[in-house]
Amino acid sequence: MRSVIALVFATVLLMVVGPMFAPYDPTAINIPKRLSAPNTIFLLGTDAFGRDILSRLLHGAQWSLGLAFLISVISLVIGTTIGLIAALGGRFADWGLMRVTDTFLAFPELVAAIVIAGLLGAGSWSLIFALSITGWMRYARVARGIGLSVQSRGYVVQARLAGLSGISIARWHYLPSLLPSLTVVWTGMFARAILGISALGFLGFGVQPPNPEWGAMLLDARVHLRSTPLQMIWPGLAIVICVLAINLAGDALRDALSKQDSHE
Amino acid sequence: MIQVFSGLLLRAFVVLSGTALLTFALLWNAPGDPAQTIAMARFDALLSDDVIEQVRQEVGLDKGFWQAFWAWLGPLLRLDLGYSAVTGRPVGPDLWAAVSYSFPLAGAALAVGLAMSVPLAVIATKRPGSLLDRFAVGIASLGNAIPAYWLGLMLILLFAVKLAWLPALGASTPAHAILPALTLGLGVAASLTRIIRSGILEARGQAFLPAISRRGVSERALGKDHIAPHAAIPVITVFGLELAFLLEGIVLVEVIFGRPGLGTFLVQAILSRDFSHVQAVVVLTALIFVTVNLVIDLIYRAIDPRIGENNA
Repeated sequence: MRSVIALVFATVLLMVVGPMFAPYDPTAINIPKRLSAPNTIFLLGTDAFGRDILSRLLHGAQWSLGLAFLISVISLVIGTTIGLIAALGGRFADWGLMRVTDTFLAFPELVAAIVIAGLLGAGSWSLIFALSITGWMRYARVARGIGLSVQSRGYVVQARLAGLSGISIARWHYLPSLLPSLTVVWTGMFARAILGISALGFLGFGVQPPNPEWGAMLLDARVHLRSTPLQMIWPGLAIVICVLAINLAGDALRDALSKQDSHE
Repeated sequence: MIQVFSGLLLRAFVVLSGTALLTFALLWNAPGDPAQTIAMARFDALLSDDVIEQVRQEVGLDKGFWQAFWAWLGPLLRLDLGYSAVTGRPVGPDLWAAVSYSFPLAGAALAVGLAMSVPLAVIATKRPGSLLDRFAVGIASLGNAIPAYWLGLMLILLFAVKLAWLPALGASTPAHAILPALTLGLGVAASLTRIIRSGILEARGQAFLPAISRRGVSERALGKDHIAPHAAIPVITVFGLELAFLLEGIVLVEVIFGRPGLGTFLVQAILSRDFSHVQAVVVLTALIFVTVNLVIDLIYRAIDPRIGENNA
């Protein structure tokens, strides 16, 4: 769990402190200095509008990481709620909700997100909606699975016999046992959300210019592939490093959990 | 067996009709006036209200939601995809042309992925924990974190711009498919390597292996008959996920490399609000996905008898 707490802390730090270190305004246009190579004034060079790439990268963390965080948490809440309702709500609710989950799973998530975000009209809100609505299914599956497995445990049966309501049982007896597994799923979905946001940004369906989202930066840079190839490398590197860090934190947590399980 | 099969079939049916309904609801509720967008796309000019009204009736947008849904679903069940309201041409042939570009690409990517991941995983698991093993795992983790569109751009930069070995944009010769297939294939290889590696390691841990080995069964036979089939099970399970990855990747890769195919077809359709094209791609994708998952489920049951008939 420590690795994930460190991860969340680092993410928040990057989003809050990062922009403070940005040397320039990320949207300030400076045409005479456009497409300059990295130099002492513009450490990573400038883009086609003469905007400082380093400043855009640092401010971009708020968009890429911040939105990914938001999206992964929204889908965590949706998914857990649906999973718990399926586990607690009886056979009919279970069957219905799981078929809904199957329907959403029966489609490549990113393709669905592209269709939804594209048709709703490009912009941050449709991006958030599209990626949240296509990202909750794994949480639901995990929450339902663990929910069903703790259902017959002594303490849950006792709580039910003691007259606790379904909501209280879910809150006090299901959630604590769900938390570790859901956190593992969350790290995976957080990484996926970053990739999804930048993919949609790259296709032009995501965060709109002049906002410095990393995928949208790649889209801007792509046209100048031949003249300033370096411009394209930075946002991609930022994405890779973040996703790698998140995945490693998730792996560490999963390993720790499976060790714990084998000790029991 | 029949019971299992009909259970799976029922599930596939529920999923498919759900997808159809969701897609249609999304298109129906998309902001903006679809009639106007279609009219604009078709005539390429600002239009008077009567022309827009005429388009609305022609396309059937003036009917209610359910009526329009049934009117759309009926022909679809007869595999008639109808006409595109934007281009005015039948959807089927255009979709088929796109598929004929995308499927070979997906197949090539899958082949690249398997050709790289299987040897890498086998070599890595010769000595678990060794430098080579950790290297393989590291490369795989890195590969999982690299977005396909960035990898594609980097490959273009290296092989098309700097070295000028391979063509980058378009699809006029088979050589044009090399970079896109490599882009997608590397992504597939990254995720498969991890799965095959842990599959082999788990297969090695089976309790009966030392007994067979002491009876004099050769290392090779042991690998072929006892480890490989066991390690193949998780690979088949994740095949559905790989397919999803391929379909998602294809959209981005085709856009990057300027290749015709399902991805560019879809993006173009979204941009021009060509609803019948969007629907066609969505329904086709769902159909492929559901069919492949159905087949995987059946294969899975066939090779692993431990999965009982009750787990439908």
